[in-house]
Amino acid sequence: MNKVYVTAVVKDVPAEEYGHYLPPMKARRMGKLQKRALVTALKAMEISGIGEPDAILNGTAMGCMEHTLQLLNGLHEEGETVSMPTAFMQSTHNTVASQIAIFTKNHGYNTTYSHRSVSFELALQDALLRLRAGRLRTALVCANDELTELQRQQPRFFGQLEVQDRSEAWMLSIEPGEHPLYELENVKIIHEKGAEDRAEIQIKPL
Amino acid sequence: MQDRVVITGMGVVSALGMGVEANLSALLRGESGVRTVRCLSTEHREFPVGELQMTDSELRQLLKLPEGRLYSRTHLLGALALREALSQSNLLDSKGLALISGTTVGGMDITEGLFPNPLPEGTPDVHDCGASTNDIADTFGCFDYTSTVSTACSSAMNALIMGKLLIESGERDIVVAGGAEALSKFHLNGFKSLMILDQERCRPFDKTRAGLNLGEGAAYLVLERERSAVKRGAEILGVLSGTGNSCDAYHQTASSEDGEGAYLAMKQALEESGWQPSDIDYVNAHGTGTPNNDASESAALRRLFGDTLPPVSSTKSYTGHTTSASGSIEAVFCLLAMQHGFLPAQTEFQTPDEQCITPVSRVCMRGDYRHVMCNAFGFGGNDSSIILSRYE
Repeated sequence: MNKVYVTAVVKDVPAEEYGHYLPPMKARRMGKLQKRALVTALKAMEISGIGEPDAILNGTAMGCMEHTLQLLNGLHEEGETVSMPTAFMQSTHNTVASQIAIFTKNHGYNTTYSHRSVSFELALQDALLRLRAGRLRTALVCANDELTELQRQQPRFFGQLEVQDRSEAWMLSIEPGEHPLYELENVKIIHEKGAEDRAEIQIKPL
Repeated sequence: MQDRVVITGMGVVSALGMGVEANLSALLRGESGVRTVRCLSTEHREFPVGELQMTDSELRQLLKLPEGRLYSRTHLLGALALREALSQSNLLDSKGLALISGTTVGGMDITEGLFPNPLPEGTPDVHDCGASTNDIADTFGCFDYTSTVSTACSSAMNALIMGKLLIESGERDIVVAGGAEALSKFHLNGFKSLMILDQERCRPFDKTRAGLNLGEGAAYLVLERERSAVKRGAEILGVLSGTGNSCDAYHQTASSEDGEGAYLAMKQALEESGWQPSDIDYVNAHGTGTPNNDASESAALRRLFGDTLPPVSSTKSYTGHTTSASGSIEAVFCLLAMQHGFLPAQTEFQTPDEQCITPVSRVCMRGDYRHVMCNAFGFGGNDSSIILSRYE
């Protein structure tokens, strides 16, 4: 069984760094979350020196809310004559992970978990089990959610689920490389009827 | 050696009806469930859909769920399919099971009905994908692990793929996996915006194909470590022998011309299963009926199988495209094909297209089928494929 190392953790990429990763021309039609997610992923690839991970996984509690709300508003205002192809195709939860793959031309394992507050942990568990078993050598695991203006003003609009406005990317590898940050030992997911799902990430600092 | 991942239960609801028996009999009769919209509240009556012909309140009563809260249709469809799967595998009273469910629509039917008003205070969460999975799980008391995969139209298949991984890595002995998806105005109008809905019944791989019909439904498979199934004396319905997942990495909604992602996913599934292309007796194609998907999938099938292309058909002309649930609904159809020795024939196929493979049509083929491949491809090029084998 392989050991699994975390070789990069990236979040809160400053706006002035965006241009380094993403030519403005290419970013033109992307939503705010997509841009942030992509830049965060590309920075994790750069720092870890792993530009072509064997897998790209994403966890998102609510998915791409900016585009979802565009189409919901469109349906409300224009009724069913509405036509919003771009908003619809970018509203699906897997937009982010597939966008990273399209941008980096990555044909590897690609998946998205959308399971409330443990979405990232489920993606991490999937990658961990594959790396341990030697089915992958490297995996990029991301967490991406956005808070739209509507959710900031009315945090309970879609329910009790608390969503963090964040983009985060972890690079996992079975090779420690030069500067491994942690060893990822285990991920546990716990479901109890009537309670919020919980997750435990067990990491050992190196 | 009893290390295989076997299937010990299945449940399905679709436009072909409620339960495995109803779906099987419609497939054998060659009767499509795609018809004029009835349950979804939409103005677009020009687009036929694959709906389960029951209202939300009828579904709620079947599940004996109390009135007085909001239930998404995804929850209701999912719970009905899950009940059948658990019951067949004799697990309704079990604890400590895992559920992995695929969905994208989740509770969007509730949200779009209320919008621009929020979910009323004090109501349990229904909108997000995870809430719908937990609602499905908690209709029963069996689960201490729940997870939701959301890779658009390959969600349920990727749930099956993760289920196999959880068992093979020793984390779990039994994982129930599949998906559930109700129709919503949101995605009907979304697909309409992309101009890929056909106003007639869809005709996958036909020269005159003009798009897809949306459908709804749910299906779950009970995946189990062979040793555990044998020990419990559970009836074994088949083997999940191979899985593959690859990103086409081409476009957010279009498939590449050579079907690279589809090709790689199918190739991986074959490699994992250990079987050769010539061992595959049938392919249940993704075959949506859009000009682009069917040409791309055909190119990938031809690349992989060459001269040994087995019979292929798409069952989307029966159920419509059940989007996130399609991977598990069609996996059930594949298991039924092996069990009952038939290949579902496409209902509307007439004109072959040189860009496409020619599917099994008109009458279902009878024979002895041991290994079948089932494909599910999603937006963003999230392409997946599995191999199901007869338990021998």
